[in-house]
Amino acid sequence: MDSKIAFQTFSLENDIKEVDPKDKLFDFEEAEQRRVVKEEPWKKDPHYFKSCKISAVALIKMVIHARSGGIYEIMGLMAGKVDGDSIVIMDSFALPVQGTETRVNAQNEANEYMVQFIEATRQSGHKESIIGWYHSHPGYGCWLSGIDVNTQDTNQKYQDPFVAVVIDPNRTISAGKVDIGAFRTYPEGYKPPNASTEYQSIPLNKIEDFGVHANQYYPLDVQIFKSKLDDDLLGLLWNKYWVNTLSSSPLISNRAYAVSQLNDLAAKLAKGQQTAQQRRGNPEGLVLPTGAELARLTAANKAGDKDAMIMSPPANKTSAAKGKEKDVSASGAVSLLPPKPVEDSALMKAVKDSTKIASEAQHGLISQMLKDIIFSNRPGIAAPSKTGSVESTVETAMAAE
Amino acid sequence: METDEAPTVLPSTTKSSLSISLHPVPILNISGHLTRLRLQTRKYAPFAFGALLGTQNGREVEIVNSFELISSGAMPKVDHGFLAARKEQYKQVFPSLDFIGWYSVAVAPTPMHIAIHEQLIGYHPTPLLLVLQPTSTDLQKDSGVLPFKAYEPTVEIRDRKSRNVYIEAPYKIETGEAERIAVDSTAKGGAESGTLSSHLQTQRAAIKMLHDRILALVEYVSNCVAGTAQKDHEILRALAALVASLPASENKYFRSEFEDEQSDVLLTTYLSTLTKSQNILNDIVDKYVTMTDMGREHGGHGGGLRSGKRRGEFIGARGMRIMEDWAR
Ligand SMILES: [Zn+2]
Repeated sequence: MDSKIAFQTFSLENDIKEVDPKDKLFDFEEAEQRRVVKEEPWKKDPHYFKSCKISAVALIKMVIHARSGGIYEIMGLMAGKVDGDSIVIMDSFALPVQGTETRVNAQNEANEYMVQFIEATRQSGHKESIIGWYHSHPGYGCWLSGIDVNTQDTNQKYQDPFVAVVIDPNRTISAGKVDIGAFRTYPEGYKPPNASTEYQSIPLNKIEDFGVHANQYYPLDVQIFKSKLDDDLLGLLWNKYWVNTLSSSPLISNRAYAVSQLNDLAAKLAKGQQTAQQRRGNPEGLVLPTGAELARLTAANKAGDKDAMIMSPPANKTSAAKGKEKDVSASGAVSLLPPKPVEDSALMKAVKDSTKIASEAQHGLISQMLKDIIFSNRPGIAAPSKTGSVESTVETAMAAE
Repeated sequence: METDEAPTVLPSTTKSSLSISLHPVPILNISGHLTRLRLQTRKYAPFAFGALLGTQNGREVEIVNSFELISSGAMPKVDHGFLAARKEQYKQVFPSLDFIGWYSVAVAPTPMHIAIHEQLIGYHPTPLLLVLQPTSTDLQKDSGVLPFKAYEPTVEIRDRKSRNVYIEAPYKIETGEAERIAVDSTAKGGAESGTLSSHLQTQRAAIKMLHDRILALVEYVSNCVAGTAQKDHEILRALAALVASLPASENKYFRSEFEDEQSDVLLTTYLSTLTKSQNILNDIVDKYVTMTDMGREHGGHGGGLRSGKRRGEFIGARGMRIMEDWAR
């Protein structure tokens, strides 16, 4: 019996196959890479790199690592190569640092670990070079902070080609899709042609950091790639893990994050209102109820998760009403001036934020309702039909999209 | 090879009682390892092996991560210095994970695997073996079975001599939530996700899987009733227990939790809708104010502004009243 296995093993081992086109990206042509790195075409064009291709395994490892950090930021490095105007990430590995925006020092701490890890990786036959770093922004979106811009800038100066990847594990869970961004910084003094980037919700306490540095870097188009074998395996995996789709409840795993998003929305609306009041300089504004509202919101939050969930929407909402009302008067005053190019108003941004919060909550609810229908019936026992409620929830969700 | 050699794997009548959960990361790591070696050696099934990291609690094993190993000198010679250093590096980043076994690419375990096994006993008394079978994956795809097999080492006593052998161990796939989302988006090839329709499609696919399996069970039961299938009492008892546990969600605590959850979502939706209508109203008032102010001389900026303001105030106050009713 074993001899048969031995034969099979031998013939398989020596069975030479064509390289599947899907696997080409996994190949590492050393000479070609050396040539590209020597030529440094990215030095001439600040926009040289257009896309960042990430292997399935590297992506999954980074997402899991980011999630394992909980409320803390984690970081790691990525190995890969350059392919035309793409940075190709073949693998990723975690570094033993976690914290909050202490990047620059953290990297020094992890230096020794890094060197040894890379050395061991080479020993096991990997030829890829380190081509970037990743870190997580739990709950505040994918962009580069001031510290991140500095770190990336240094890396681009001394070990280009290099890319910065940011992952938001909280938004990944809440949206049911991987929240990831890949960035390159511009050389110092470079004035980018104004590119309008897609709106993303930034928490109030980070908005300043975001705004100040937003023009110092640009996003690359993120693509996922996988080998033929990966592809087959991933297809087969779905046969096994579909159960997790049914057994998980996004509403429950998102609860804490949903509350924090609502609080952030409330804070933004309150701030918008304040600014509007100051601009108008009219003491006649409804200052009193606003204060009361904020107090109520705080009280609601102190009362604990559950209550906060119920209480914060009303509080938010009322401040929405107020923020809005102030906006009216503010814009009324402003409208005497010549018209300015329209930028999203604070209220418009709040609309986008709240739409996102609501649609994610609805998706979670739809899953729960479907399960309720499937698992709350028993053959032979008539139960009231619940499909109507799902229909109406889906309709609401559609209307909101 | 001697043909009278005793088999490395005991016949399938002996099954391991280990409960193994396998995560996608080691699966894809091993796939990546093999793909890279294939490209480097241009062979279909080059020799590859590595360490498995995970957690063990009694008979429950979870395989969470893996790293590649290298051999020093002749093929099945584990480079212990390398293994120890690598193990330490992973421990620093994932402190909860321990060395629990190793993997290899092979059709089935051979005496060579036993030889490697014996070098690894120092790291774990019974290191698991996970084997990726590099057979035609197209065939595997049709059968829907992952080309991985797990083996638990054990000792067989034969002719008063003890020797190391393997028994096959069943395993199941386990994913954390973030892991599931990541696998999902890579499996789909980065297609648009996060929208309502993609969410509904995921739900539908999962429910269809469930449905297909229920149909298979129903068919089995009806065949049993018809006498065309052999009755397996263990399976039938499990089925009866499953049906008896329905309805699963008719617990009064569950109901009230669920209803709370539902009203929270509706409230959030309402909040979003109100914010939206406030914004629309804001736009209208802006335009109205602009229009009425245009018609006026510079000094008299009272009227339009006033009326606009009063309108907003009215709506704001009304919205607040509704909210206060709610909060009670
Ligand atoms: Zn950052």
